[in-house]
Amino acid sequence: MQIIRNRAITDDDFVHVPDGTELPEGKPIVTLSHYVKARDALLVRYPSLGVRITSDKLPSDVPELGRLALVAIEFPRFTDGRGYSIARQLRERHKFAGEIRAVGWVLRDQLLYMERCGFDAFELLPGKPLASALEAFGELTVTYQAAVDDPRPLYRRR
Amino acid sequence: MPPANRWIVTGNFTDDGAVAWRRADGTWSRQIAEAGLLSDEPTAKALAATAIANEQREICDPYGIEVHASGDTIDPLTARQRIRANGPTVPLRRPDSGLSR
Amino acid sequence: MYQYDDYDRRIITERAHQFRGQVSRRLSGEITEEEFKPLRLQNGLYMQLHAYMLRVAIPYGLLSSTQVRQLAHIARKYDRGYAHLTTRQNIQYNWPKLGDVPSILDDLASVEMHAVQTSGNCVRNITSDHFAGIAPDELEDPRPYCELLRQWSTFHPEFANLPRKFKIAVTGAPGDDRAAVRFHDIGIRIVENAAKERGFEVIVGGGLGRTPHIGAVIREFLPKRHLLSYIESILRVYNLHGRRDNKYKARIKILVVALGVDEFRRRVEEDWEASRTPELELPDSEVARVSACFAPPRYESLPASATQLAGFALGQDREFGSWVKNNVVGHKVPGYSGVVISVKMPGVPPGDVSDTQLDSIAGVADRYSFGHLVVTHTQNLVLPDVKTSELPRLHAELCALDLGKANAGKLTDVITCPGLDYCDLANARSIPLSLEIAERFDRLDYLNDVGDVSIKISGCINACGHHHVGNIGILGIDKRGEEFYQLMLGGSPGNDASIGKILGAALAQDAIVDAVEKVLGRYLSVRESPDERFLETVRRVGFEPFKQAVYGETTETAAE
Repeated sequence: MQIIRNRAITDDDFVHVPDGTELPEGKPIVTLSHYVKARDALLVRYPSLGVRITSDKLPSDVPELGRLALVAIEFPRFTDGRGYSIARQLRERHKFAGEIRAVGWVLRDQLLYMERCGFDAFELLPGKPLASALEAFGELTVTYQAAVDDPRPLYRRR
Repeated sequence: MPPANRWIVTGNFTDDGAVAWRRADGTWSRQIAEAGLLSDEPTAKALAATAIANEQREICDPYGIEVHASGDTIDPLTARQRIRANGPTVPLRRPDSGLSR
Repeated sequence: MYQYDDYDRRIITERAHQFRGQVSRRLSGEITEEEFKPLRLQNGLYMQLHAYMLRVAIPYGLLSSTQVRQLAHIARKYDRGYAHLTTRQNIQYNWPKLGDVPSILDDLASVEMHAVQTSGNCVRNITSDHFAGIAPDELEDPRPYCELLRQWSTFHPEFANLPRKFKIAVTGAPGDDRAAVRFHDIGIRIVENAAKERGFEVIVGGGLGRTPHIGAVIREFLPKRHLLSYIESILRVYNLHGRRDNKYKARIKILVVALGVDEFRRRVEEDWEASRTPELELPDSEVARVSACFAPPRYESLPASATQLAGFALGQDREFGSWVKNNVVGHKVPGYSGVVISVKMPGVPPGDVSDTQLDSIAGVADRYSFGHLVVTHTQNLVLPDVKTSELPRLHAELCALDLGKANAGKLTDVITCPGLDYCDLANARSIPLSLEIAERFDRLDYLNDVGDVSIKISGCINACGHHHVGNIGILGIDKRGEEFYQLMLGGSPGNDASIGKILGAALAQDAIVDAVEKVLGRYLSVRESPDERFLETVRRVGFEPFKQAVYGETTETAAE
């Protein structure tokens, strides 16, 4: 499957692992409940582990964040904006250095804001064209407020 | 013959937002009198769903409404739909009575 | 007013360009209406009953004459020759075509205007006191802070998908809140602490709608430099914890009540401590840069207005005298006055202005008020800086434009939402009521006798007409498919904030204006003196006398 990562289209090297399915070799993304139950075993087995959280969770609900390679934040609807704050907290408050991926109902027109909040990878809703989606990133080149992309508001950059 | 209750499908034209009424042949009219009468709500809902699936370019958010149909007249049951059919009940623009140019 | 620099200009031209792309993807079918809707809402474009509606942002209501001329041009070129002033100091067009909207946005951008975030679940227009900068009771001009908040909120990436819309208001006059801050999601009052430092009192969770609520103070004194970071933490707590399961329970006021003020405050302070950075502090230089844009215009040195005003009020021309008493307000600079232009008149939906009127008003602003104009949340206009000596000439000019009505703050200065004639959300029509009121009570003597009274009409519970805070509030409802109206009394939006109380059973459309007349009749008969205003009388005597006036006769008849 193809995803957008760092503003480029690339093949996904991670695999989503729904609860109850077999764990693969390579790089799994497990659910939060699975991770909470089997954290030690998973971390031992997988040097690159991802955890998927729903948008009613906070980064503080994910133990040992620093040992994860990826956090996937779910958007149940493209209008559910909690993921933006969750991603921002992950980057800024918790200093998470791994990949933050937007999954679920993700549309081209949300990408720019998502990136500014700390997302660096995106799984678009199936069927949505990826190549033209990349154009979204360049649409607004001037920003007023501080965000993950630049912690300085415009008044400190003017 | 007493007026009968029927259903019709309505929406707004994508281009200018004007009120749209679905004709029997599937095209869209700006006059409620040209709306195609349907026998029940499920039929109206199904046609609206088809329009949502296939006619985004033409129509926004179509849905079914119940109407009284009698002869050539189609009369919606609610104030909202009557106003959609007939336009605002208040003057459209401000009279510039004081201005002499 | 704020002067755009290259950054500001680029921001809105890029946005207009972005929306042009979104519109063409909608028109080509690449995105559906469902996907397009939040995008167009964030650019102020609604779908109403008969057409699209474009809401243009007027930050804190302030306009230049150049902008007013462009608004007239847009009305002429793309719409039906008129525009509508809203209850949040914005202006809207009722008949744009989708394909024209990108060009409208380009035309707006050319005069430093836009329609950014005037709709959608994001931070909306920051509103303020329509006498900001001139009011004698003002502690400090709130407009620089409105502008700083506007910039902070514009395209804020974290808060573009809130549980619901978000409205912020700022007042700089602690003694008389003309911005209704207690009825906003966030209300900000500029205050002075015991050490004579200026800062902000922060109020959260006010609102109207289904569950009207007066906001609670969560921070009594916030130092100025923390304004943006603190507001950001409030938004973040709301974004994360506001309800998303029920559209009617999604505003921040519901969250504040559910958590309790103390717990809500605790979460805000916790986030603030964890996330505020030195960069987020407002440097004095930025406050100074923005404040400089609101520096006073080149006032002349003139004698005080009081004698002149008294002379005007008592002069031979009674219409002009009433206009001076009702529409002219005091100004902190001697020799100047603020003027309310009432756009309300019989036969015209409240708030509607034609393109020719807008063009003429632009000229009036140039000649009398340094080219500035303010839209009020009462759907009128203010000329902020008029020489008192020029009031007679100004009044004559305004009368020639049908804009000289001496009814500011009086009975026929009705505020109303568009209602079921236009709005997809409405349950009943509101404009016909306001037209009937304007017609029936269009007698200057009667207006002056009744004095200060606000009538606010909403066509549905969303309360865009602010009926909860009208001295007389009217709410249109749908009862068995027919339009009925609830009458309430005693609302007030200012420092003496109160939510109106329903008087009795809902009334039919042909009975509601009669009921208003009965209420006014009762007021005139029970008031202590002509100096006791309507609201004061209601508060003194209670609702019973008014209830009897409207409903009582029926009971008496039955008893007989």
